[in-house]
Amino acid sequence: MPGRTAATVSLAVALVLAAAPAGALTVVDMLGREVRLPGPPRRIVSLVPSATELIYALGGEDRLVGRTDFCDYPPAAKEKPSVGGMISPSLETIATLKPDVVIATTSGNRLETFTRLEQLGIPVYAVHAHRIAEMLDVTRRLAELTGRQAALTPLFAGIERRLFAVANAVRPYPRPRVLYVLWPEPLLVPASGALLTELITLAGGDSITANERGDYPRFSIEAAVVRAPEVILLASHGSNSAPPIAKDKWERLASLPAVKSKRVHAIDGSLAHRYGPRVVDGVEALARAIHPEAFR
Amino acid sequence: MTRRLVSALALLGALLLGVAVLAIFLGSARLSPLTVLRVLGGGAGAESTEHVVVLGLRLPRIAAAVLAGGALAVAGVGFQGLTRNPLAEPSVLGVSAGAAFGVVVGQLAGGSGAVFDAVRVAAFGFGGALVAGAAVYLIASVHGAFPIQTLLLAGVIVGIFFGSAVTVLISLVDIDRLGGVVHWLLGNIAPLPARSLLVFACLAALGFAAIVSQARELNVLALGEEAARQLGINAERVKAQIFVAAALLTSSVVAFAGPIGFVGLIVPHMLRLLLGPDNRLLVPTAMVGGGTFLLIADTIARNAVAPAELSVGIITSFFGAPFFVYLLRTRRGVL
Amino acid sequence: MTVARFDGVDFSYPLAEPRRGHPFTLRGVSFDLAAGEVFGVLGPNSAGKTTLIRLLTRIVSPTGGTIEVEGVALAAMTRAELARRIAVVPQDMPQGLPFTVQELVLMGRYPHAPRRFFETPHDLAVAREAMTATGVLDLADARVAVLSGGERQRVALARALAQEPRLLVLDEPTAHLDLRYQVECVALLRRVNRERGTTIVLVSHDLNLAGALCDRLLLLADGRIARLGTPAEVLEETMLTTIYGCSVSVERNALTGRPVVQVAWRR
Repeated sequence: MPGRTAATVSLAVALVLAAAPAGALTVVDMLGREVRLPGPPRRIVSLVPSATELIYALGGEDRLVGRTDFCDYPPAAKEKPSVGGMISPSLETIATLKPDVVIATTSGNRLETFTRLEQLGIPVYAVHAHRIAEMLDVTRRLAELTGRQAALTPLFAGIERRLFAVANAVRPYPRPRVLYVLWPEPLLVPASGALLTELITLAGGDSITANERGDYPRFSIEAAVVRAPEVILLASHGSNSAPPIAKDKWERLASLPAVKSKRVHAIDGSLAHRYGPRVVDGVEALARAIHPEAFR
Repeated sequence: MTRRLVSALALLGALLLGVAVLAIFLGSARLSPLTVLRVLGGGAGAESTEHVVVLGLRLPRIAAAVLAGGALAVAGVGFQGLTRNPLAEPSVLGVSAGAAFGVVVGQLAGGSGAVFDAVRVAAFGFGGALVAGAAVYLIASVHGAFPIQTLLLAGVIVGIFFGSAVTVLISLVDIDRLGGVVHWLLGNIAPLPARSLLVFACLAALGFAAIVSQARELNVLALGEEAARQLGINAERVKAQIFVAAALLTSSVVAFAGPIGFVGLIVPHMLRLLLGPDNRLLVPTAMVGGGTFLLIADTIARNAVAPAELSVGIITSFFGAPFFVYLLRTRRGVL
Repeated sequence: MTVARFDGVDFSYPLAEPRRGHPFTLRGVSFDLAAGEVFGVLGPNSAGKTTLIRLLTRIVSPTGGTIEVEGVALAAMTRAELARRIAVVPQDMPQGLPFTVQELVLMGRYPHAPRRFFETPHDLAVAREAMTATGVLDLADARVAVLSGGERQRVALARALAQEPRLLVLDEPTAHLDLRYQVECVALLRRVNRERGTTIVLVSHDLNLAGALCDRLLLLADGRIARLGTPAEVLEETMLTTIYGCSVSVERNALTGRPVVQVAWRR
């Protein structure tokens, strides 16, 4: 029955071709998951403030159809519809926006959000950045998703230039021991898994908690005192600043070189926690706090 | 009786002293005993590391732990007498969570760390504790008695409510602080500056005095409210005073050391096993015994995974939760 | 001498707690308690017996009329003062009390020195004397929670005696007791009344016990005094039948001359 076999084969081929729509794209996200997209995404919802910043920096914001309440930079981002918070975004709102892909992160969004979105048939693309290198990777991936690969080179060039400038500025100076106080009570510090640790190094300092395990562990004040930090940076959070309370508590610890040489400074906590393009602002702010003499 | 009280206090006091001395030698700075002794003897410069560690960090922290533990244990005795239930204590009753909510509100309301602000934050905490306690009272009281199941349920509900309220509040107002606050909710005994310690000590003393002065009345209250009244006790006033004092003690601890659970459960129970149910013995010894207990827990918390630290609340829960279950299974009902 | 006087006392529970559809009231209750007498209060449930005790011990206050104790208006006395004059033995004690017998009896000394923190040797002596009188001295260090019903009753009585009151009030003292303990209880009360001259007020369901023990009886019905007098006067067939709503006959005990109430059980 050759005629019938031919028909069956053609039907099968046609079905297979039909099942793979034109322009289908399979990408691998940063968790190593395969994410099947119908084509280059035209409608993107970002649940990650850093990713939102990067999308704008890449010039891909016309494909951005949704963001979280916390995606407040650049200011233009606030004009995009919000889907709620990072922890509990409104799945309904996301679905209404009909995204081709949702950008999410395991450090900030809940696993349940991932699962629910996938149940709704909405592809989720995971990102994270604990290192500058990873941040550059995220940028590259977002460029691919938004089709803005052309913007990568100038963006990277700009970042590189500024980082070099910082490195050059601080190079002549000895690297002081730095204690970064993420939260004063209880004492939370950046450890080996935190992006902040690398940023401190780039800014010309040696974080005394660089080798501790974890991301932002609770740390003993005693141990910090014994490591005799020469610079103490107190992160301020949001609208209500914590440092003024913490500052005089730290200044009572008279043995610390940082106290003796009055190198206890407040620093804007938010700059160093996002891994968007402003991370360079973070490095610059850190460098200015650690090596003020290099920037006069 | 006086003799029994005095000897019990003397023994517990000696134990506390011993633990405190041990605690001052232990720490992640790993100072040699000789170094510590030198500092204590006044032989180290005020700007030396060992001086800062021993006198600026360890000693104030030990003082804070002792005060917090004593206050929580006395609050526990108070709540237990009030509800005639050995399982009642600040965290089980949700009063601790209410205080935590109050404290967070007080901190968000702005401040700069001056002593006045410490008092203000404690006052907010006090308000939160009163509200939580009143809520539990209203939910759980059945004709003046507190059936054990209803009381525990009410406490759990109120505790969850205020615990969630803290998270929601921070998320709405200032999400960048959420991580730090979540850690604080597990308890945070810190080396308090001298003035804060003084405020803390005064508040604790006030709460303690208010409860110990009613210790005899608290005994009689166990006979039932009507019987107590017929013996000449102003039951309403005694209950109100104990409740307010226990709320004050709880909220002071939360304001200065974060919410810490189970101290008010474990310490009074152990003391009851040793000394019997008379509150005139329990309340004073709880002050000392609670201090010793929390000091031990905090010393473990700051040394077990050095240089990282555990929250002291984890240590007390680790021992407290199984203990709670044990009490529940063996002692249902009245004290 | 009058130990207590009720003069035209009215009382109703606040409307928030109505009983059986209509608010419960006492109306125009007047009587005297003579020193040293044994006085029984009888009546059906919710006739007002327990309310009477509550009024006497100022757990609640009358809405009309006055109550005096030893010539002093109740409202004018402090709680401790009242507790020094009147002691109440409640129906039962809370379960699982962790205190020992001696600790419990010592609580009866509270009204005599409320400001003191610990009891004095004198307090201890009074307490031990009370425990001896009620026969629980050798249980002094036993925990109340492990005692039998009869023993607990005696401990409660000892506590009341330790208050050194002029007036002892017992609320259904034999309600939960075995027969043997009922007999013991009656004997004990008689002894206390004789030896100490303490006036006793007894609220009871048990008509015969009240009839046997008391000098005078007060029969309450629907918040009013139905009859006040000797047992023979009060425990009268037609009166009881009407008030209790069942058929009774009253005979005379050959030995004591006291009335014995027999209930006609329906077949």
